[in-house]
Amino acid sequence: MSEALMSDDHPRAGAAAPRRANRARRFLRNPQAVISALVLVLIGGAVLLAPLLSTGDPDAAELSKAFAAAEPGHPLGFDSAGRDVWSRLLHGGRNTLGGALIALAVALSIGVPGGLVAGYYGKWFDALANWVGNFVMALPAMVVLLASRAILGPTMWVLMVVLGVLVAPSFFRLVRGIVANVRGELYVDAARVSGLRDRRIIARHVLVVVRAPIIIQTALVAGIAISLQAGLEFLGIGSGDLPTWGAMLNEAFQNVQRSPMFMAWPGLALGITSAALVLLASALRDVLEDGDAKPPKLRAARRARVVTPATPDDDRPRASLLSVRDLAVSYGAGASAVDVVHGVDLDVAEGEVVGLVGQSGSGKSQTAFSVLGILPEGGRVSRGSILLAGTEVVGLSEKGYRALRGDVVAYVPQEPMTNLDPAFTIGSQLVEPMRLRLRLSRKAAAERALELLRQVEIVDPRRVFHAYPHQISGGMAQRVLIAGAMSCDPRLLIADEPTTALDVTVQAEVLELLRRLQAERGLGVLLVTHNLGVVADLCDRVAVMNAGRIVETGSTEQVLAHPGHPYTRTLIDAVLDDAPARPAWVAPRTDDGTEVPA
Amino acid sequence: MSRFAARRLAAGIFLLFVVSFVSFVLLSIPTLDVARQLLGQSASQEAVDAKNAELGLDQPVLARYARWLGDALTGDLGTSWFTSEDVLTAIGHRLPVTLSLMLGVTLVTALLALLLGVWAGVRRGAVDRLVQVLGVVGYALPGFLVTLVIVLVFAVQLRWFPAIGYIPLTTSVPGWLSTVTLPILSLSVAAVAGVSQQVRGSVIDVLRQDYVRTLRARGLPPRRVLFRHVLRNASAPALTVLGMQFVGLLGGAVLVEQIFGLPGIGSMTVTYTTRGDTPIIMGLVMTTVVCVVVINLVVDLLVGWLNPKARAA
Amino acid sequence: MRIRRFPTAGSAGVVVAALVLAGCTGAGGGTTGQSDPILDIATMTFPQSLDPVTAVGGALPFFQATYDSLLKREADGAYRPMLATEWTWDAGRTKLSLTLRGDVEFDDGTQFDGTAVKANLERFKASSGANAKWLSGLEQVEVVDATHVVLHLGAPDPAYLYYLSDAAGLIANPAAFADAEKLKTAPDGTGPYELDASQTTVGTKWVYRRADGYWGERLPFDGVTMTVFDNETAIVNGLKTGQIDTAVVQDANQQAALEGAPGLTTTPIDFDFQGILLFDRAGVVTAELADVKVRQALNHAIDRKTMLEQIRRGKGVVTSQIFGTDSLGYDEALDSHYAHDPEKAKRLLAEAGHADGFELKMPRMTSIVTEAIASSLKSDLADVGITLTWVDVDQGDALRRVFQNREFSGFVMNLGQQASDWLVVKDLVLPGTFNLFGYTDETVRALVPKIQTSSTEEARDDLRALNRNLVENAWFVPFYRMTYALVTDSGVTAAPQSGMAVPSLYNYRPAV
Repeated sequence: MSEALMSDDHPRAGAAAPRRANRARRFLRNPQAVISALVLVLIGGAVLLAPLLSTGDPDAAELSKAFAAAEPGHPLGFDSAGRDVWSRLLHGGRNTLGGALIALAVALSIGVPGGLVAGYYGKWFDALANWVGNFVMALPAMVVLLASRAILGPTMWVLMVVLGVLVAPSFFRLVRGIVANVRGELYVDAARVSGLRDRRIIARHVLVVVRAPIIIQTALVAGIAISLQAGLEFLGIGSGDLPTWGAMLNEAFQNVQRSPMFMAWPGLALGITSAALVLLASALRDVLEDGDAKPPKLRAARRARVVTPATPDDDRPRASLLSVRDLAVSYGAGASAVDVVHGVDLDVAEGEVVGLVGQSGSGKSQTAFSVLGILPEGGRVSRGSILLAGTEVVGLSEKGYRALRGDVVAYVPQEPMTNLDPAFTIGSQLVEPMRLRLRLSRKAAAERALELLRQVEIVDPRRVFHAYPHQISGGMAQRVLIAGAMSCDPRLLIADEPTTALDVTVQAEVLELLRRLQAERGLGVLLVTHNLGVVADLCDRVAVMNAGRIVETGSTEQVLAHPGHPYTRTLIDAVLDDAPARPAWVAPRTDDGTEVPA
Repeated sequence: MSRFAARRLAAGIFLLFVVSFVSFVLLSIPTLDVARQLLGQSASQEAVDAKNAELGLDQPVLARYARWLGDALTGDLGTSWFTSEDVLTAIGHRLPVTLSLMLGVTLVTALLALLLGVWAGVRRGAVDRLVQVLGVVGYALPGFLVTLVIVLVFAVQLRWFPAIGYIPLTTSVPGWLSTVTLPILSLSVAAVAGVSQQVRGSVIDVLRQDYVRTLRARGLPPRRVLFRHVLRNASAPALTVLGMQFVGLLGGAVLVEQIFGLPGIGSMTVTYTTRGDTPIIMGLVMTTVVCVVVINLVVDLLVGWLNPKARAA
Repeated sequence: MRIRRFPTAGSAGVVVAALVLAGCTGAGGGTTGQSDPILDIATMTFPQSLDPVTAVGGALPFFQATYDSLLKREADGAYRPMLATEWTWDAGRTKLSLTLRGDVEFDDGTQFDGTAVKANLERFKASSGANAKWLSGLEQVEVVDATHVVLHLGAPDPAYLYYLSDAAGLIANPAAFADAEKLKTAPDGTGPYELDASQTTVGTKWVYRRADGYWGERLPFDGVTMTVFDNETAIVNGLKTGQIDTAVVQDANQQAALEGAPGLTTTPIDFDFQGILLFDRAGVVTAELADVKVRQALNHAIDRKTMLEQIRRGKGVVTSQIFGTDSLGYDEALDSHYAHDPEKAKRLLAEAGHADGFELKMPRMTSIVTEAIASSLKSDLADVGITLTWVDVDQGDALRRVFQNREFSGFVMNLGQQASDWLVVKDLVLPGTFNLFGYTDETVRALVPKIQTSSTEEARDDLRALNRNLVENAWFVPFYRMTYALVTDSGVTAAPQSGMAVPSLYNYRPAV
């Protein structure tokens, strides 16, 4: 969700410290995380304090009391040998959880470093490690366990070490996969270029990415280790006479006909522990991976200086193509609802290019998404009116909206690579909407797609048509997306930072292309950007947005030359400071690292 | 693609060799005194020595492995030390039982987990929470409790299905169905619980992808986006999990096989491994590795088909 | 092809149940034109092979189906003619003359005769089978003519008729001995049934159908299916749903699960006893055990009654003796010889000079020594000052460490109580397997030769005296005889077999 909400943000490059604090807070706000963690802490505590919480020796047996009911000092009664169930449950928990911890420690200490190295360096080590991983997974676990038991003795601890080795490949694969993925990514490359040593890159950049999945996987594997341990007991290759939950469950199973309730205690202990681990894992996933962008957004909005907007001419007639009035977008519902866009007015006339400018988190993408009706989950237009080619789209049904998308309004997204479905060829992704929206035959649609690819100046349209997204470059992908947007002859194009993710030279080409298409087809364009150079180059008019509000509107010339609002001025100053000498439309991109202070 | 498959197959065959060697060596660790188990407690030392010689256990491990390998390459996996059955025949009799369970569980899991996972991932809210609760409960319930309850209710009380035994598919299809239904049901509870969570996660992940938004912005109906684009992208990780589950069932259905008295690979593995019946265990090891290699290959091919990027890697 | 419809299965008879388990079509061989039912037996014991030299105790019915034995042992233990029609001992009890049937042929036409008997007995003796030692005293098999043989023994052996009615008496076709591998899975005998190889899955299910033209008494079932399970839960469920006709259920909890199940009949079988086989009466490993008072103290320390009540749910009888109720040496009074008396045990230990106790190490096989048994023995012995330390061992490991390496002083076992007194003496009293340190005493030395040379009936008093001596000198620490449940459904009746944990194949009848 964070990606969507902060689409003009580079999520990974941000400062780590506040994020960490956010995570802690998010963790504490997530009831599922807190409760499951609390349960685990309680279980762990009870198990650690077993000698204090239970009376007597877990092995002390008084056969005459076998299956006897609870009595003072023995809250859960007695097992088949007349031993105190409560005491065995607590002491057994020590062994069960201790065993699981050992298995985890072994698995982590083999799998994680192995995965890091294999994923980061690749080459022969990767090949070797991969093969070893496959080998371990193919080994017959029973044979290995029995043999190691024969060699090392029949203690549960040994078995858990072996089990740790056997599950290590799951960590290895996870870490290796993620690391191999991020290795090529920008920020690691950048770190490499700036001369950081490998060890520091791994420690500072790579570990950060794999940390969350490892923590989640750890919780899951802990659950698996606990139930596997119980399973081993069941197969008779367990702990000997060491009390464990698995041994208790097994013993209870032997006596299930006699005293079915007896199975409840170790069953509950195992069940609650593994359930808590699963729930914690899924809550951690929410907290660590998906994040929840609402709280930071909220703070950003509060922090922003409240400035009276330069009110646009309210009496001005509404534009025929796009007219937005008093638009508010909120997330969440009821009392916890948060507005991220507060009363925006915006007009785009036929054939007009309007720039919507603002820094990250100013609400400009939210405004654009509202127009397209594709606000991310949880978001909604809470107020205002949006006229799209004369149709009021606020409150419009999904079906009604669909009639407008493609041939009235089209969308060019920011990040070219993530906006193409990796599972389908470029061609099929272009053809599909045309067949649906324009009711073209397969052949006609394919021809038109090739023509569109040619129009967006792709040299070898046929090859690209049959290529998958991962086989083409970012610039090419952006051209494909532009072609996709053009495919149903829209009247309004909403381009959300269409060049931000591209190399400087490619940026220029794509802007050229946009300019040409706009001119040829008389498109209305709403260009969402933080790049004033792009605005100066393309736009007829500009709306400057800050903290969910439009602070200034006017012709490009007027706003850039004589900014009426201090915020606009800071924006312009930042650009000039950075690269005064360059031609305006290839002004260096201000990415988040050099964000303008609010 | 075919080169990829051939390479994987070659790696698989190499794996087969290595695993067979390691397993053989592990099995030769002499704590399981097979001869004495066979002869009983009252056997004399001479009898034990004679038996060991008869089984070839007086030879060094490498020589025995070489002989085993030589025989195995000609398709002779030997005969069981404990029941005198031909290893290939024995496994051939039992593999269909386990495969029936594996296929059944995989089918049920794939269908139900997909349904529940997609439902939860798309609808979110109360439905999502319900599916998650079901998932956690299914995951946390001890397997044998589920199995015992299912036997007692559906077989012993209601008599809808037989409580024990297996009827081969080739003998009678309804008979086969009646004997595998309850075991499959028992095994599916945890499997569906696990895989549906996986599908849910994947669906949510994919729904958040930029291209889903872009596809919607192009005017594609949400249903089409879901079924064509989201499902295809979300099913790759789910397939991997399903494949691992499938492999796990090969030896992991022990409990269910025992309770239902099914002569499958799982219970066979446990029984013969604890006794140390090397010829049978080696046969089982080979079967397992072949299954693992084949299943991994199939999963990789399927994932590659679903996700072209993985094909390149 | 008849397939059982499950909602209607309530009163499923033998035939229908058989169809389900066997998954086959018509019943039996079908050659007689008559249709007798098929018997479905479930068991947890299975044969190592179908070669008769490997036959042992609980797996005997697998062999009885395809092989006849020289003598037939009836349910009550009496010997009746089978392949041998008469048998007589000479005065010195070292020559056993057998008269054989002359009208029996193997399937390939080979005649059953004295040569066949000689070949089988010699092969059995030379084999590596578990019971081969039974015939170790057999010096020569003299073939007088086709229907007469004389067995020459080195020394009298009162259990010989038992051997010939059991594994050692099973007669296979000598022509089949050439291919011993084949004999392991393709039995070749003169018995009432033939193995149906196409329906049989070795290790799981053995299917037998009636042999054409069987020479002997026609058994009342057209076929027998023996299915092996590795746990009793499945067997109990199968009995309840009518998928199994009969089984012996050992576990007390599983027996309880069957109580009140409609249509099932339960007959008790008392064969196995449980207890500590105390090998180390000479104190080789644990010096303290050399003192008889210490061994008696062990016997007094154990609370047999509570163990029986709690662990076996009362399914059994406490005992202090190793002789079973079917044997001549059995003395009911000895069942209660050692009462639970920790005070007396402590006193005995003090008298023996071990008031501070000592440590006793015993191997623990979890399949026999459950948690309840392990912990109750431990705490019972701890009460009198003896520290019991359990050493976990696997099955294969246990046999080696206990019987070969002689690492332990005792071993908790479930052991069958032989109906043949001489087998009891041979197995448990004479130096050998279960007397691995070779301990003996005056009384034993005096009584055993008398028992060995007299006929069983004559030996009754000596056997009782021997039994009393063993109990009083605390050679063993028996806990109780365990009652197993022979369960049959409404279609079948079965009689327990004296001296066996499972009924002989001849003991089953269709219920009328």
